[in-house]
Amino acid sequence: MTEIVAKFDSVSYLYPRSSKLALRDVSLEIKKGEFVGLIGPSGAGKTTLCLTFNGIVPQFYGGRFWGKIVIAGMDSLEVSIHDLARRVGMVFEDPETQITATSVEAEVAFALENLGVPREEIEVRIVEVLKILRLEGMEDKHPHELSGGQKQRLAIASALALQPELLVLDEPTSQLDTLGQQEIFAALHALNQKLGITVVIASHASEALADYADRLILLADGEVIASGRPNELYSQVPLLETCGVRPPQVSQIFHLIASRVGQPAAFPVTLNAGIAHFRDICEHYRLACPKFAALDLKKTGTPLFSVQELCYRYPDGTEALRGVSLDIHRGEYVLVAGHNGAGKSTLVKHFLSLSHPTSGKVLVDGVSTDRLSVSALARRIGYVAQNPDNQIFNATVWEEVAFSLRVLGYSDADVQCRVKDSLATLDLLEQRDLHPLSLPRSDRVRVVVAAALALQPEAIVFDEPTTAQDYRGAKVILELSRTLHALGKTVVVITHQLYLMPSYAERMIVLGGGKIVLDAPLRQAFHALETLRTASLVPPQAVLLSRVLDPEALLVTPDEVAACFFPND
Amino acid sequence: MAIGEGVRLDTPSGEEREVKAVGGTTIDGAPIAYVVALAAVVTVLAFIPLSVVIGSGKSFPMSQGIYPLVGWLLGPVAGALANGIGSLAGVFLAPHTSTMPIATVFGAAAGGLASGSMCVRDTRRSLRVVSVVVFVLAYSLYAGRAVLQNGASLWAVLLGSLINWSALLLFLLPTRTYFARWIGDQDLRKVAMGLFGGTWMIAGLVHLCTSAIIYFVLNWPNAVWVSIAPFAPFEHAVRCLVGTVIGTGVIAGLRAIGLVKPTYALY
Repeated sequence: MTEIVAKFDSVSYLYPRSSKLALRDVSLEIKKGEFVGLIGPSGAGKTTLCLTFNGIVPQFYGGRFWGKIVIAGMDSLEVSIHDLARRVGMVFEDPETQITATSVEAEVAFALENLGVPREEIEVRIVEVLKILRLEGMEDKHPHELSGGQKQRLAIASALALQPELLVLDEPTSQLDTLGQQEIFAALHALNQKLGITVVIASHASEALADYADRLILLADGEVIASGRPNELYSQVPLLETCGVRPPQVSQIFHLIASRVGQPAAFPVTLNAGIAHFRDICEHYRLACPKFAALDLKKTGTPLFSVQELCYRYPDGTEALRGVSLDIHRGEYVLVAGHNGAGKSTLVKHFLSLSHPTSGKVLVDGVSTDRLSVSALARRIGYVAQNPDNQIFNATVWEEVAFSLRVLGYSDADVQCRVKDSLATLDLLEQRDLHPLSLPRSDRVRVVVAAALALQPEAIVFDEPTTAQDYRGAKVILELSRTLHALGKTVVVITHQLYLMPSYAERMIVLGGGKIVLDAPLRQAFHALETLRTASLVPPQAVLLSRVLDPEALLVTPDEVAACFFPND
Repeated sequence: MAIGEGVRLDTPSGEEREVKAVGGTTIDGAPIAYVVALAAVVTVLAFIPLSVVIGSGKSFPMSQGIYPLVGWLLGPVAGALANGIGSLAGVFLAPHTSTMPIATVFGAAAGGLASGSMCVRDTRRSLRVVSVVVFVLAYSLYAGRAVLQNGASLWAVLLGSLINWSALLLFLLPTRTYFARWIGDQDLRKVAMGLFGGTWMIAGLVHLCTSAIIYFVLNWPNAVWVSIAPFAPFEHAVRCLVGTVIGTGVIAGLRAIGLVKPTYALY
């Protein structure tokens, strides 16, 4: 019989000061050597469930607890977090929150030293885990010199050095580009297969989970809704959509095809299986792909943003931008994409004069940013930073939105009116008196957008607005960007979650190595596979599957791909 | 009523268990992580000079503004420890803001103990009694030596040490309880008032402990007592402003995010 590593028996949990159970009657078993994915919308209880594995919930947070959790034979309420940490490795969403040392080597050694592992043993384990996580040669590097993916791998290495029986990861790839995400999942898969370490991972990365997980557990409102193999669970598209979970695009496409042609086809959930299955079923249906003409986005007149031969070098000598030139006109909706460290955020910060060119020029409405103050630019350009918490510092939502208006000298009446309008637009009036940090992340992004919107800017720049959002949260933010665009605002969105963007952006600019490697209408850009590959980007699965049907059709969404299939007469 | 009790829940099917922190992860009811974090904040603020110390070529650190806050957040023992560790690291890393290391560390720890003792009610009254004895002794040494040994006029010393004896009075009178009650109030305006008054009181006592030791070395004459009299209250008000601004934000944030509250925390 397979050994049970973790057993939850009717577990319910209530956070202090909360009136709603975060977990409700959760009963499940995790077997030794399993690779288990936790899926569910934001607020479903995934993070809380992860924190129960090493006793942080409830021992650290307090609150009320029902039921029993047995981890490696120990009752999680009867042993200390310290003891559970020897058996359960934990990796949080943001690696920065758990990296404390000043070198890669010291970081891996930290937990081992605290547990009193002999020095000779620590040295052996450091070498081992750095090799497994492909961090050899970086022993003396400061963690801040590492890329996002490397930092995440370092956090995993530190957890792995404890030789845990169970490795629990909470959204470890939410801040990474597609390549970084694939690196992490591949590394976890290797650990699972080679060392037999049990892996539990909460993630919104449905395509990766379909590839690597043995079993998925679907949570909603703190309850386990369903559990099964990826092909079983990701085939239940209506259930997932009801729960606010995005299935892999492959599943969406085959679900849509089955709905159109009335035949419940077998559901592949991975890209390779999908391509193979596509070739099989193409023969059984009549195919007619809609053709989308290549768009010409050329515009005339003075651009709102004009970047001319922009170069930017950081004080440490890193060249972030190397001769970037582009124009963005009023009313455009532009997607800026590229791998982590490609220079996307650095580019848009120049629009607001938050960074100053090493050489070259940035013009806003024909005027060089050298001649414009940050406050003058802030009135015209709203900026929503990658981490909303960096922009939040007031005690209530109302105060947060009113802050810039007051600083810029608007009258009290104006402030009241604009704040109210802005909160109403963002559907935040009910939360006006709450502390912004008490809100979920998707709402915190909306608070920052509301603050930007209150200034009635001509343009809004969103820097990775959908990071760490579930599908529903991401769509809410992007719908907001669409509303702003419809109001005539210029919208610039930075993201590497390309599958979210077809319904929104018109134009895509791809940065790679500090240069523009592609600037094209979105549809054409998504099909420039070779260029995207060189920029370490992976197009949505719908694009790759559509090319099996007709590469010239430039299809980009699951709906467009499924719409090619008709029942045979 | 425990938090969450009384809330109607669709009854969970599992048996309710007692939630407790197992193992030595807290100090006097304050999680070690909190103690470490606040000690680090004290150290960082030790780098920022707030004002000058006459006759020493050194400065007061901005961390003096948050010594009281640390006690209100952590309680007496953990507060004293966090202030002590933070200021000890500060005297090595930022020596420009420490006139005399032993005085800096002693004052910070005493401040944490005194402010933390405001958090406990009927239990551990002895902590407050010990604090009062220490502070009265410190003032006697400070002012007594100035008048009796160094010949400064009583009025000059009283004016020059206004922040110290006013703090001592506020600590002895029921004002201490009022400040504690305001800091625990849900209305952030009352919290800010409590923080300002409380910081005046506790930071004044910290200043007293520190000065009592430093005065053994500096021995200011009458002229210095006269010259510091108009500036000391202003400088102390800035210290209180630091404590109020930082404290209001921190307390509002801590209440909002609902992290586990140390046993003797006042907020």
